[in-house]
Amino acid sequence: MTMVQSQKERYIPLFLLAPAILLMLLIVAYPVVQSIRLSFFDISLLMPARAKFVGFRNYVEMLHSETFYRALLNSIVWIIGCVSTQFVVGMLGALLLKCKFKGNGIIRGLTLIPWATSSVLVALMWTWMLDGNYGVINDLLKRVGIIDSYIPWLAQPNTALGGVMIANIWQGAPFFAVMLLAAMQNVSEELYEAAYIDGANSWKQFWYITIPSIMPTIIITTMLRLIWTANYMDLILVMTGGGPGYSSTTLPLLSYLTAYKRLRVGEASAIAVFQTVFLMVVLSFYLRLLQGQSKEE
Amino acid sequence: MKRTKVFLSLFLMLFLVALPSLGQADTTLKYWLWLDDPTDTTVSELVDKFNSLHPEIRVVIENVPLKDYHDQLAIALSAGVGPDAARFKDWWLGEFREADLLEPLSSYIGEWPAKDDVIPNLWNMGKIPGEEEIYMMPHQFITFYLYYRKDWFTEAGLNSPATFEEFLTAAKTFTDPGNNRYGFGLRGGDGGQDQWLAFMVAGGARVVDEEGNIVINSPKAVDVNQWYIDLYSKYKVVPPSAPTDAYAQVTGAFQAGITAMMAHHVGSSVLMVEKLGDKVGVCPIPAADPKNPATMITMSGNVVFSPSQAKEEAFKFISWLTEPEQMDKWSRSRNGQLPVLNSVARMDHYINNEFFRVSMEGADYAIGWPPLPGVGYVSSHVWQVNMQRALLGEITSQEMLDEIARALKER
Repeated sequence: MTMVQSQKERYIPLFLLAPAILLMLLIVAYPVVQSIRLSFFDISLLMPARAKFVGFRNYVEMLHSETFYRALLNSIVWIIGCVSTQFVVGMLGALLLKCKFKGNGIIRGLTLIPWATSSVLVALMWTWMLDGNYGVINDLLKRVGIIDSYIPWLAQPNTALGGVMIANIWQGAPFFAVMLLAAMQNVSEELYEAAYIDGANSWKQFWYITIPSIMPTIIITTMLRLIWTANYMDLILVMTGGGPGYSSTTLPLLSYLTAYKRLRVGEASAIAVFQTVFLMVVLSFYLRLLQGQSKEE
Repeated sequence: MKRTKVFLSLFLMLFLVALPSLGQADTTLKYWLWLDDPTDTTVSELVDKFNSLHPEIRVVIENVPLKDYHDQLAIALSAGVGPDAARFKDWWLGEFREADLLEPLSSYIGEWPAKDDVIPNLWNMGKIPGEEEIYMMPHQFITFYLYYRKDWFTEAGLNSPATFEEFLTAAKTFTDPGNNRYGFGLRGGDGGQDQWLAFMVAGGARVVDEEGNIVINSPKAVDVNQWYIDLYSKYKVVPPSAPTDAYAQVTGAFQAGITAMMAHHVGSSVLMVEKLGDKVGVCPIPAADPKNPATMITMSGNVVFSPSQAKEEAFKFISWLTEPEQMDKWSRSRNGQLPVLNSVARMDHYINNEFFRVSMEGADYAIGWPPLPGVGYVSSHVWQVNMQRALLGEITSQEMLDEIARALKER
């Protein structure tokens, strides 16, 4: 009787979780499986009925395409550049906001504005600020004598991706600031007092107390930002459309352009599947690295 | 008594539920369009009028921005939730015809009373080479011309440019990067392919020859394209932002007094006059050889999609839109382009308007994109990427045109 009861109890959680699992299968697993399946087909968005199985041809063509490697390189620059700068700016912001000063509450609220602003609005705002003919950034730089003539930031291959990255950093840094600030506020003041009595200066307190204490938050927020930034293409699409040429085209944008401009769904799926696998490898490497480090500490 | 109350309550509920459908039309028609100025209410007024005149049909419009129009339409039709009829560009005819998504319209047009009023050669823009069938009902068309700052030209003692040489001389005259001033607003970004094609054909290049062979990468075309690229890379008479400048940037720079010339069409003339008054002048696109002028023409017509269950009603609506009164109202609006009806085009309003006059003159020698299946992809992506790469010196003029030729052939 007890055994039967315990078996029943074992199945109850499964039974209760079944609707959630079913929902997850429907909205996550189905599109993933469908994407993988489509990546083996030659299929036009306008003529889905004329789809033809082509095996690994889409992958082979992708790996032979110069544009793909350009987009991969841009993706790496975009992810590492945006996330690391957002982290540094966010950390500085969190340390500033942790200080007690008048109006601190209001400043904390205002900090979240970029994060809460819609991506398209951010993109349009920065597009006009960086405009090569009458952008305010060019105007300011010219007035203070840093540049002689206006620079078309988004129209030059060596500055286009950087221009979009600045917009992304501006938008994403508050997320880090708020998350890290929340974690810092949970670190016991006694630890800092003890360290102070032992003669630790501010840097040592930060390095040996703050960082290890907030490490779990750093890991999870950085991981989330890595995933979001890797898949994020709204800003690039609106600000440069991946141009000029392919100079700011990243992998998700290349996949989008292949699917919705060229209407080649199979090739677009192959790029998307590659990006997913690539991201999984990077993330597992990152998690092992950081978890190993925190264990050592 | 209680039973009667229950019965009456149920009857009342049933009546209330059925009430909204009593006044409803038999057929609901989904119509998609894009509007250059979405704040203009002319189309909504026209649709309301049609709905009141035809109580059996209810037209529901959906406005999709032109930038995403082709993609959204392809997705909607592929998912089986597309519109019954839509505003359409000649760019996409080949691609959608190949996918069997367009309803042949010749038999409907045969019975349409206003058919003889349409400017005859415009019917050809709704056809596929080698087919007699008409797939697109002409509605509005544009030809490209050149806006120029009349006041600057007068001050500099120059006439409006008629040749490539005069155009380049004028562009050089007005270029002064230190004062953020340039000769011409080159559109290397989104939608710039029409402006480019206007200069290409005016320079003597062609997309296809008389037999329908793709010749956009011929030596002649490579030369003209190189001249166009040189405006940015060699002569530097266009703003440095030209590779990514789209309509908003090019128009904004011209209106702000940053550029002296820009190529566009009658669709922006109302806005230009509002902003610049009599400082803005208009002239045909300069030609390499003035004896052989050419410009770019593009038609926005209306199509009926073959999966539609209401094809007759859809044709009734699109043909009604093309009739003189509606055509005149649309053409005079902020979204107005050139009317396709002779009776409307001959009205004083159009004949006395300089912008309409230059546009209509251009129609005599204008050349459009050929209705090949690859034109949709070229106009939505390939041209822009390769134009930008050529402007930035990443590829040559020949390589750019080879890419376009390849995409035009892609099925």
